[in-house]
Amino acid sequence: MTTVALKSYGKVAVAIVIALIMLLPFVYLLLGALASTFSLTGTIDLASYRLTFANFATLFARAELYLPLANSVAVAVIVTLGNLFFCTLCGYVLARRKFPGKGFLMVTVILVLMVPVHVVIIPLYLMTNWLGIFDTYLALILPFLVSPLGIFLMRQYISAIPPDMEDSARLEGASELTIIWRIVIPLCKPALAVLAVQTFMVNWNSFIYPFILTSSESMRTLPVALALLQGYQNIDVPQLFAASVISVLPTTLLFAAYSKKITEGIIAGALKG
Amino acid sequence: MPPNSTQRLRFPDYFFLSPWVITLILFWLFPIVASLFLSFTDYRLLSGSYSFVGFDNFAQLFRDAAFTKAISNTFIFTIGTLPFTTCFAILLATFLNGRLPFKTFFQSVYFFPSMVSLVVVALIFTSLYARGGYIQLLCGLVGAPYPQEGFLFSTATALAAVMAMDIWMATGYYMLLFLAALQSIPNELYEAARLDGASAWRQFRVITLPHLKPMLLFIVVLNSIKSFQIFVEVFVMTKGGPLNSTNTMVYFVYEEGLQKFNIGYGAAAANILFAVIALVSWLELKLIKDKTA
Repeated sequence: MTTVALKSYGKVAVAIVIALIMLLPFVYLLLGALASTFSLTGTIDLASYRLTFANFATLFARAELYLPLANSVAVAVIVTLGNLFFCTLCGYVLARRKFPGKGFLMVTVILVLMVPVHVVIIPLYLMTNWLGIFDTYLALILPFLVSPLGIFLMRQYISAIPPDMEDSARLEGASELTIIWRIVIPLCKPALAVLAVQTFMVNWNSFIYPFILTSSESMRTLPVALALLQGYQNIDVPQLFAASVISVLPTTLLFAAYSKKITEGIIAGALKG
Repeated sequence: MPPNSTQRLRFPDYFFLSPWVITLILFWLFPIVASLFLSFTDYRLLSGSYSFVGFDNFAQLFRDAAFTKAISNTFIFTIGTLPFTTCFAILLATFLNGRLPFKTFFQSVYFFPSMVSLVVVALIFTSLYARGGYIQLLCGLVGAPYPQEGFLFSTATALAAVMAMDIWMATGYYMLLFLAALQSIPNELYEAARLDGASAWRQFRVITLPHLKPMLLFIVVLNSIKSFQIFVEVFVMTKGGPLNSTNTMVYFVYEEGLQKFNIGYGAAAANILFAVIALVSWLELKLIKDKTA
């Protein structure tokens, strides 16, 4: 009995050590963001440490970080709503209907997921220029309103629901939109939650697309602003860390609240490959 | 059998499908075709005009020392991270799959770094790796040698430092995928093995590993595709330096195409990378499949 208990203590000790390795960099980030002073070498002097929100206050007074925060929220929310709407409609048609070209459309959903980002960055940059949407909110939103992963997720989920209810509603003269709104969407709530959390996180953290599709300071999203402000003389590390904490906060809160949905989404997303 | 009423394509369905069809054409198919087309031209954004140059871009790329350096760095990065990430991920997954108090808590903690914005992680590690920073202090404590100027400023350590961060960050993500695969292995198999007196290592080799094979295959391919595309870390931490020692293929594409606006040249580099990724994935699939069969 005692050896079993010892073994279990040993395992917990190992688990805690690994947890520390995973968390210490974030503890450093948080302590740095809340520090009154920060050494030039990037270490925190614990002897003179004083907790302060001053870095956050300065941050919100500066347009170069305040605006990106607003941009990030707007873009991530709009893209998430767009995905909930468009992926459901598209997934519904792909799950229920039979039509020529359906197989091709399904294949494109999977294939597009495997295309490396860098193949499209240069043409995408040119494309947004030609469309006249380069460096606008449209460039940050339009290409991402409907995602292959979202379509795949919704199609899989809707396929597993028996179509009987839709059929009887149709016999009673319900329109397609009514059927989707009243029958399909309520049944899809678990999948929609996974899709919402997943889409928000991906777009909130997204760097490369907002980075190449915008050029002016006022169009930057938070990750882009963080990457570009780093190293500039007029921004110090504690402020950069404070902005990073703000960038990590929504993902952390979402993760704490919906860790199950997030892991489900990731596994579903990975397994389709 | 005639299709039932649900299966018939109706008028509004075209509207339902159109967002994806438009996105697909505008933002995926067109860019892929355009990229191929551009790579055979000398298109430069600043001049605006272009002419066909055949394979000149490709020939020039292989004479470009920065490009060959970027290729070798990308391969070093992939080969130097993938085995570690995969092994750590399997170990952590097996560890969490056993009996352990607060299992879900630990699982979330291990997974957490891969949830965070890569930019933020790169910023944290830039400070940690700096001259006089915590990693140097740690090296001093255990007596390991370290570059005085900071890990990211030495040609000897910059790439390795980025790689170490990447392993730290990605392990939790792949752990989660392995865990999902482990949980699908029926427990009876282990019970039977224990009754037969099989050791933990033997159980792992005979039951766990064979069941993990499909997931392992998938993760090796997924991880190498992702590794070949490393960009954000390089952009935030080193800008490809010092002396191109961390220049990678995507960073090269970005610099040529979108900084110097040598669109044709950058597109050619992008297509070579695309071909490399496709080839490596295909080889991996073939190799592992042959071994399993």
